Amino acid sequence: MRLRRIVLPALALALVGCGANEQQPKTSTEAKAGGTLYILSDRATNPFDPAKSQGLPITTLGLVHRRLNAWNTAPGKDATVAPDLGTDAGTTTDGGKTWKFTLKDGLKFSDGSPITSADVKWGVERSFAPTFSGGLGYHKTLLEGGSTYKGPFAGQELNSIETPDTKTLIFHLARPYGDWPWIASTAAFAPVPKGKGTEATYGEHPIASGPYQVSKYQSGIEIRLTHNPQWSKDTDPNRTGLPNEIVFQLGQQSTVISKRLIDDSGNDKDAVSIPFVAPAQLAQLQGNALAKKRLVTSSSGAVAYLAINVTRGPLTDPRVRQAFQYAVDKSAFQVASAGSAALAGDVATTLITPGIGGREKFDLYPAPPTGDPAKAKALLAAAGHPAGLDNLTLVVSNANNSAEKAQAIQAAVARAGIKVTIKPLDSDAFDEAITGSKGDYDLALLSWQADFPSPNANLQPLYASSEIGNGGYNVSRYSNPAVDQAITQAQSVVDPVAAGKQWAAIDKRIMQDSPVVPLIYTRNSFLHGSAVTGFYIPEFPAYPNYLQIGLGQ
Amino acid sequence: MRVDVGESSPTTGRPRSVRRLWHDRWAVAGLVGFGLLVLLAAGADLLTAIEGHNPYDYNNAALDPQSGTPAGPLGGVSGEHWFGVEPLTGRDLFAIVAYGARTSLLIGLASTVVSVVLGAALGLLAGYLGGWSDRIISRVGDVMFGFPYLIFLIAVGAVTPLSFPRPLLLIVLLGFFGWARVARIVRAQTLTLKQRSFVAASRVMGASTVQVLWRQLLPNLWAPIIVVGTLLVPERIAAEAALSFLGAGIPPPRPSWGRAIGSAVDWISTDPMFLLFPGAALFVATLSLNLVGDGLRDLFDPRSV
Amino acid sequence: MRAARFVGGRLLGMLIVLLVVALISYLIFYLLPADPARLACGRPCTPANLAIARDFMGLNEPWYRQLLDFLTGIVAGRTFGSGTAAIHCAAPCFGYSFQQNAQVIDLITSRAPVTASLALGAAVLWLILGVGSGVLSAVRRGTAIDRLTMAGAVAGVSTPTYLLGLLGILVFGFTLDMVPVSGYVPIVDSPVDWAWHLILPWLVLAYVNAALYARLTRGQMLEAFGEDYIRTARAKGLSEKRVVGWHALRNVLLPVVTLFGIDLGALLGGAVITERVFGLPGIGALMIDAVQSLDLPLLLGCTLFGALVVVICNFAVDLVYGLLDPRTRGGNA
Repeated sequence: MRLRRIVLPALALALVGCGANEQQPKTSTEAKAGGTLYILSDRATNPFDPAKSQGLPITTLGLVHRRLNAWNTAPGKDATVAPDLGTDAGTTTDGGKTWKFTLKDGLKFSDGSPITSADVKWGVERSFAPTFSGGLGYHKTLLEGGSTYKGPFAGQELNSIETPDTKTLIFHLARPYGDWPWIASTAAFAPVPKGKGTEATYGEHPIASGPYQVSKYQSGIEIRLTHNPQWSKDTDPNRTGLPNEIVFQLGQQSTVISKRLIDDSGNDKDAVSIPFVAPAQLAQLQGNALAKKRLVTSSSGAVAYLAINVTRGPLTDPRVRQAFQYAVDKSAFQVASAGSAALAGDVATTLITPGIGGREKFDLYPAPPTGDPAKAKALLAAAGHPAGLDNLTLVVSNANNSAEKAQAIQAAVARAGIKVTIKPLDSDAFDEAITGSKGDYDLALLSWQADFPSPNANLQPLYASSEIGNGGYNVSRYSNPAVDQAITQAQSVVDPVAAGKQWAAIDKRIMQDSPVVPLIYTRNSFLHGSAVTGFYIPEFPAYPNYLQIGLGQ
Repeated sequence: MRVDVGESSPTTGRPRSVRRLWHDRWAVAGLVGFGLLVLLAAGADLLTAIEGHNPYDYNNAALDPQSGTPAGPLGGVSGEHWFGVEPLTGRDLFAIVAYGARTSLLIGLASTVVSVVLGAALGLLAGYLGGWSDRIISRVGDVMFGFPYLIFLIAVGAVTPLSFPRPLLLIVLLGFFGWARVARIVRAQTLTLKQRSFVAASRVMGASTVQVLWRQLLPNLWAPIIVVGTLLVPERIAAEAALSFLGAGIPPPRPSWGRAIGSAVDWISTDPMFLLFPGAALFVATLSLNLVGDGLRDLFDPRSV
Repeated sequence: MRAARFVGGRLLGMLIVLLVVALISYLIFYLLPADPARLACGRPCTPANLAIARDFMGLNEPWYRQLLDFLTGIVAGRTFGSGTAAIHCAAPCFGYSFQQNAQVIDLITSRAPVTASLALGAAVLWLILGVGSGVLSAVRRGTAIDRLTMAGAVAGVSTPTYLLGLLGILVFGFTLDMVPVSGYVPIVDSPVDWAWHLILPWLVLAYVNAALYARLTRGQMLEAFGEDYIRTARAKGLSEKRVVGWHALRNVLLPVVTLFGIDLGALLGGAVITERVFGLPGIGALMIDAVQSLDLPLLLGCTLFGALVVVICNFAVDLVYGLLDPRTRGGNA
């Protein structure tokens, strides 16, 4: 993989001058320039402040902001890291503790000023300020001095980011970290002109480096993006920038969005949506052949899982936890999620999701899709609970019909004598409950989508003991020092193939302790208007690449 | 037919003749409707046993394997499933409606009792004592009338720990937000009664405030209290349904009409029967109670016919 | 002089009510099991980041201190953080929503026209419809019109708004495609579109409320008809129209005005469910978003705003009451 990383940039270097789009993925139909793309959103806002974003690089923020690195996605292929502002995806000569990036020539902001290394540094520093925190912050603990840095607005710099000249950036990390190029693709690595971006509402009128800039921002109503004349396709193979204008229609109800896209009339022909299609609309589509053609379903996606709080009562016994692996009914869960297994997603048995390099497929607890309640009962009896378990709390979020899915779990485990009470919470209360320090629950139903396509992002945030409570997502409160050590070790490996092997071994090791029951790899389905082209969902992530959508006709 | 306008009887608090209620066709219809629902709620165990399903079991076999919608026409209505099944889960809709009736009626009636007790007490005090007590109680009542209580209920629901039984919480909260209406009516009646001679007479005879309130005023207030109470129940039932619709009511898997309606909304175009049955049940419940309440009001206060 | 005392007393009462509401709301929301700082913490959220966020938002103070800061902010404005990226919330500062990056008062005022359009339009409709049909029923008591109207009214009172709204959207929006199914267009952009988007919510709200008013009006009018002064008026030979129009209706006005004031106050504070069902970006929708995302400053601000509106409407009702009913002038209600 390392070889590939050096070869690709060389190729890119050679081709930059020619202006060819080597990295452009195959699109499904002929995409032309021009037209107005409509993006229908169920949210009231869609701010474009890179410091506060937790979004994926291929979604809407990427229309306005470029970053040091981008993701190269294509239908049917694993996602790979690709350079965006830089000439390569980052090089290291000391085993991953120091990383060097060189910016391309001719990069300009929408206000005409050139993009320099100081601007990239300012953007990263800005994400440390309390006013602008809230986005992905993996870099905050990895950069030297990051844990005590409070942002540049009081005049302090982050010295571990070196800018020896206007085109070079050198990052000094606190420990060797092989996935730094992925980290450099997170939103905080979008450039912000040095000294600017001090107002909290920067996200409503940012200075753009991408193909579009924000021309109108009306919260709750609409956002308009128009072409950024300073952006050039020659330096940006990852984006097509085809539509002339992009209009976000905010605050739409998700069922109404689905209905509009199914009906496909007027401007809705040029529309795509942000929320995915709900199961009720999926059912409706089965009878509508024309609309069905415009439905795109991902092949895989976030892993939905039942987290078992390993610190509570009977759940401290691994045999009890393993009983859950057999007690759940994954096929009922599929139906409860989206009506059918095909739309819901495949049964999951590993913690690393498909579409991520290094994943190995295995199943430590083979059972038919409806589960094996008899075996579950036997395991419980062997662990000293022949009558089953009583009074377990299952917390779940109110969003995305999770409460209904939780009921499928509840009904399934009841067959093995496990009695569960469901506690639905509003999404933020839910986040607080599972990531807070109290841990006052026995089970939790949630799903996890890796923030970048590395097994690291599937395993470390969920199973490292440093992520228990205090906002961390180790919801099962699993703490295994051997696993922690293995994780740190795997993170320091720069070669992705070698790292992948280590991660697969960690996956198996954790599953042996059974702190979670993986359920399905959730498929997401999206509808798009009939005039929309270039719409596809890659292997990873399970979201369309908004940067490559165009309009036909 | 309705009672004629005539001499208003000095409201003794006792109905002229409950038999008169039978002459009011609408009220009778309401009683019948409400009675049927009570039977449904009380007999839910028996009826669902006859049908052979409970509201908790998943029946994937009853669903269309392609889409998760109910397999048969009309939302899966059949001899097996009298009201059809719920999409994506296959749970029996009749059982959901029957057990949901229990939840709704229980919470509706109990919270009304809370409202009535609280409201009558406060209204009585406000009307009789007057002065500052009256001003404070009236002001607070006025504010409570217009308060965004749904939001408050959602917030308080989020605060309370799971160990506190949810139905009890709803009863207390919904009851608490209904006292203003009862108090207003009771206060108005009390103000009128206060002027009457029998009250003055009992005070002259040395009765204490409590005795006046309890012996003289309260017996004469039963009529309006019963009327407003009967009209309050459907409102409480609707409020509980609204909360469940917003996702803040009774948690799953306990069946609830409001939650069923909330889920059914998405399926309106694919499976309208899913909305029809719980929606109709809710409508019948509120309608019958309103009709009964109207009948009672006509009975007790003939002038308002 | 008496009038001034009356107004002064009322204003003081209003202030006290608002303070009490603020206190109770703050306590309840403070107890909510969610740390608002978590949302400003990012992912992964380390304890250090969380501490910085909490400090920034002023959450490390005890609750009474926070309440005091909030109250002083109303008068003097507030600043969060320090340095060039500090957030200034100009007076009157009813809180700052970190999630939406805006002052609460700005969010409320931007949504107010939507809620006002919805509330006032529906109010006009239901007043006309409700009082009108109530009067008609009373005058034509016992006839088919009366029975039909009252049947419609009792049905209206028994239907939950959201159910009616959803059915309305299904029939008139999706199936018949006569009206847009959701959304709001400001009146300044296009009065026609504005009305078109609101017609269904207006009708739904109006029907449910008109039913209530029709029943109330009818009852009050019939009660009035039985009164001595009506018999006197009739005996004096006044035309039926004068009897109904002037004398009886005046009697009806008081309870209707009282109820109307309260209903309007409640609606202006945010018609939560109707706005949700019809996708109208009003104050009710803002409140639902706030409670679901646990945006405490916004929630507090909206609750106070709702209480303020209710209190003002009650005050207006008292004034009108005083004008209409000479018996209450100069005394307590």
